[in-house]
Amino acid sequence: MTERRCKQIFAMLSDFLDGELPAKNCRQMERHLKGCPPCIAYIESLKATVEACHRYRVPRAPALSKKVKAALLAGAQPAREKT
Amino acid sequence: MNARVEQALTGLKSGKPEDVERALETLQEIVYGFGMKVCGVREDAEDTAQETLLRLARQLKEFPDARALAVWLYKVARSQCLMSRRKSKFAPAQMLSLDALMPKENSAAAPAVKSWEITPEEIVLNKELRSKLEDAVLALPPHYRLVLILRDMEQLDTREVAEVMGISEETAKMRLHRARVSLRNALAGYVQRSQRKDHD
Repeated sequence: MTERRCKQIFAMLSDFLDGELPAKNCRQMERHLKGCPPCIAYIESLKATVEACHRYRVPRAPALSKKVKAALLAGAQPAREKT
Repeated sequence: MNARVEQALTGLKSGKPEDVERALETLQEIVYGFGMKVCGVREDAEDTAQETLLRLARQLKEFPDARALAVWLYKVARSQCLMSRRKSKFAPAQMLSLDALMPKENSAAAPAVKSWEITPEEIVLNKELRSKLEDAVLALPPHYRLVLILRDMEQLDTREVAEVMGISEETAKMRLHRARVSLRNALAGYVQRSQRKDHD
């Protein structure tokens, strides 16, 4: 990924993966990717990284404290009454 | 939009005690989980959840929809996390340069492997990979880390991330890309090593 074109492509990779790249740039990127294995490899690795983030979960949260639960229940009351 | 926030608000408004109870647990899980990802310390995540939920209790009736609730929730939780930085691991607030992050030919960051195969099971079950991911996220400067967590882990859209962070959508996208690339480069060594082990 040392060519000038690769550098331009590199800056647009996340928008491309998120489907937020304008159509014109998308076509330009697809044309480049057809002939650039290093860029294809990099985009695959970036996609795998984003997927890993999507699937990441932290260990289970502790139970709500009595104080917080009571406050939330009281706060939720008007929200329920409104409907 | 974070689907779990939507689910929680529906539960709260249903009036059924079991749904309300479940909704409160969901909100606790969301805020605690966010705190853990941002701070990396259990005590700070618990403080973040407690303070955020107590503030939420006073305003719960004021949210017209789940989107407004999600933005408010993450905005407050973000401030709480930043206030707990004495205990948490916060890297210095520095800029990540895209030029510096771009892999150079023959450098360690360049992909020497043909494919990255992090399977869905691996990220759930492989403790070493989870730990590498956590360390790499915590090593990001805070304003990049927050954007990455909000977008790729909490699954907010770009507009919501920008609102939570108080920045433009363009800045949010720029920070997200740099954070992703930095994370990818940090994980590259691990992926290459584990693939070599598989081939031996």
